[in-house]
Amino acid sequence: MILLMPLLIALLGAFGVLGFRNPRVATRAALLIGGLEITSLVVIVWQVHERGALQVGRYLRVDGLSSFFLINIAFISGLVLVYASGYLRHIGERRFSSPRWFYALVFLFLFTMISVCLSANLGLLWIMMEGTTLASALLVGFYNTEGAVEAGWKYLMVCTVGIAFALFGTIVLYLAAVKAGMNPVAALDWVSLMDAAPRMGFDPHLVKLAFVFVIVGYGTKIGFVPMHSWLPDAHAEAPTPISALLSAVLLNCAMYAVMRYDAIVSRAAGPVFPHTLLLIFGVMSMVVAGLLILVQRNLKRLMAYSSVEHMGIIAIGLGLGGPLGLFGALLHTFNHSVAKSLLFFSAGNVRHNFGTLRMDKISGMARTMPQTSAALVVGGLAIVGLPPFSLFTSEFAILSGAFTQAHYFVATVFLITLSVVFGGFAYHFLRLLTGEPSRTPVSSKLIPSEYSVMGIAALCLIIFGTRIPHLFSVLVQEAMAVLR
Amino acid sequence: MGLVEIATGKVLSSFSVFLFLTILLLVVARRISTSVLLFSVQSAIIAAEVFATGFRERLAEAYVVGALILVIKVVAIPRAFFSLVHHLKTSHDVNASTTPTQSVFIAATMIYLAYAAVHSYGQSVHVPEDALAAAVALILTGAFLMVSRNKALMQMLGLLVLENGIFLAALTTTFGMPLVIEIGVFFDILIGLLLMGIFTFRIRDTFDHLDVSKLRRLRG
Repeated sequence: MILLMPLLIALLGAFGVLGFRNPRVATRAALLIGGLEITSLVVIVWQVHERGALQVGRYLRVDGLSSFFLINIAFISGLVLVYASGYLRHIGERRFSSPRWFYALVFLFLFTMISVCLSANLGLLWIMMEGTTLASALLVGFYNTEGAVEAGWKYLMVCTVGIAFALFGTIVLYLAAVKAGMNPVAALDWVSLMDAAPRMGFDPHLVKLAFVFVIVGYGTKIGFVPMHSWLPDAHAEAPTPISALLSAVLLNCAMYAVMRYDAIVSRAAGPVFPHTLLLIFGVMSMVVAGLLILVQRNLKRLMAYSSVEHMGIIAIGLGLGGPLGLFGALLHTFNHSVAKSLLFFSAGNVRHNFGTLRMDKISGMARTMPQTSAALVVGGLAIVGLPPFSLFTSEFAILSGAFTQAHYFVATVFLITLSVVFGGFAYHFLRLLTGEPSRTPVSSKLIPSEYSVMGIAALCLIIFGTRIPHLFSVLVQEAMAVLR
Repeated sequence: MGLVEIATGKVLSSFSVFLFLTILLLVVARRISTSVLLFSVQSAIIAAEVFATGFRERLAEAYVVGALILVIKVVAIPRAFFSLVHHLKTSHDVNASTTPTQSVFIAATMIYLAYAAVHSYGQSVHVPEDALAAAVALILTGAFLMVSRNKALMQMLGLLVLENGIFLAALTTTFGMPLVIEIGVFFDILIGLLLMGIFTFRIRDTFDHLDVSKLRRLRG
């Protein structure tokens, strides 16, 4: 029953919050619902940690892997909701573009993402993954400007087509499972698929074909190059809290789906084929995004391409496999989420205060907005993978994985791209922060809802960089145990 | 042999041909309303195939799925399209970026490619090659319509054709997925179309046209 709680809270919350026309009341209600939501998620994670996997009916199930991603959802959505409570203060009451609509759509979006993690059935997983696109498309187009409408349309079309391929992949896997003698009713259930995977290995062609379609389909949502075209537009044009949710939670959810398929296919047809595909997509995404980071002019597009790059890093970790690669990949999903939310929150403040995100129009921020600049510096240093921040740990784990498995080509590309990205971020941020102040900000101080979440994110980056808390590493181990 | 058996056999043996026909007509259609009608016909053919399969394999679920297709894809979605065209007050031209001759040539190539692609899998999966080829051809046609037609409405229609192809592939290879999943997929399509409808209004209101090839502000 406990598994239904977060779903019910999110769904009822989405409709409940629509009832509050007063923006202030709607915000308070949203914070309350968010609090309940996070509590229920934490309870689930705790129960899984104590007692092992939970299952409700045929379709809902939580194991170590899903509970690891639930922590990610809970943590980031908490930060985002608090940040949004201050961010939305300038938005008036318009049709579909008022705070209450914003929160209602956010809760629907959360509902679909939590459902993705709770699905015990790969068909349901697909339905909910398509649901994430549908729930967030209106959020991407929330501002209703030319850019937002274009980004929203592109997001809807590209992701729907992409995910249609994932449906085809799901069907092919289903076919392979039925052919291997599985009961058609259970042939999409994750547990029975994992059990039956070795039997499907007698005819590996279908399983491999399924994985190709799935990685292209869900890879579109992850933002793998060359299916990434929607990602920078959607991230740049969406309201900032949504950019953070897209980058820090949605991409991870899609990655979660790929992890599930990767585990099944590795078991059925051997790990070489899926892992090679993951490595190819990972290296491509890393290199292309790393180069595009150099030429960006919009701060949020810069962050978006950095997300593509980091998804590439995670894919490389998965593709390497083994304890080090897998550990690094899982840890990196969380670390990247925290760092990227911090950066997006800072970018949101920049937009609020200067009215633009064009980096060539902003300079001397360090003097006019010291607090936001500090957050940008912390986030920037973390995202390029410098110690003592947490992304260093996970990137180092993946890199050592590459060396221990003698993937020297991957390791070299990895290191070169990281230095290119470092150069890009240093160049852009130095121009933003130093020099003569070009504009005066609306207010140089942060409000509590901003500095509290940014402080928590920065603190988390440093703590996880110096020493991973024991409980957290246990949870990562439990997630890894599911994939073996 | 009863009349129903004969009809079932005829449907199962000939529906691929009719689907290829709709593909060829779809790529040359010049008006949005013609394309929508063709989509409706195409869905009706698939619905007939579902009923025929359900009758032959004695699957009660198939009748539910077939009825859903009839209600949603043959009636509801085309009606919604017509009312969208009416309310958007847009021109009826599909804004094709290929000439009809080129389109037919491309469609024929795609049908050929579809046969070539399924040839190796057809034997190992034990499904009628024509049906699987029709499914792949539908997927390719949908994708082709999406990239070659500049109207937002035609892109939505291309997506639907593509989805029809995926559905047909699922049907011919596995007699469909479990019913709950099937209904969920239908639900997703409906919501997706609703959202796309909302976006077409927004595109028209912000840009004063529906030509998505002119949405080129965001780049790089």
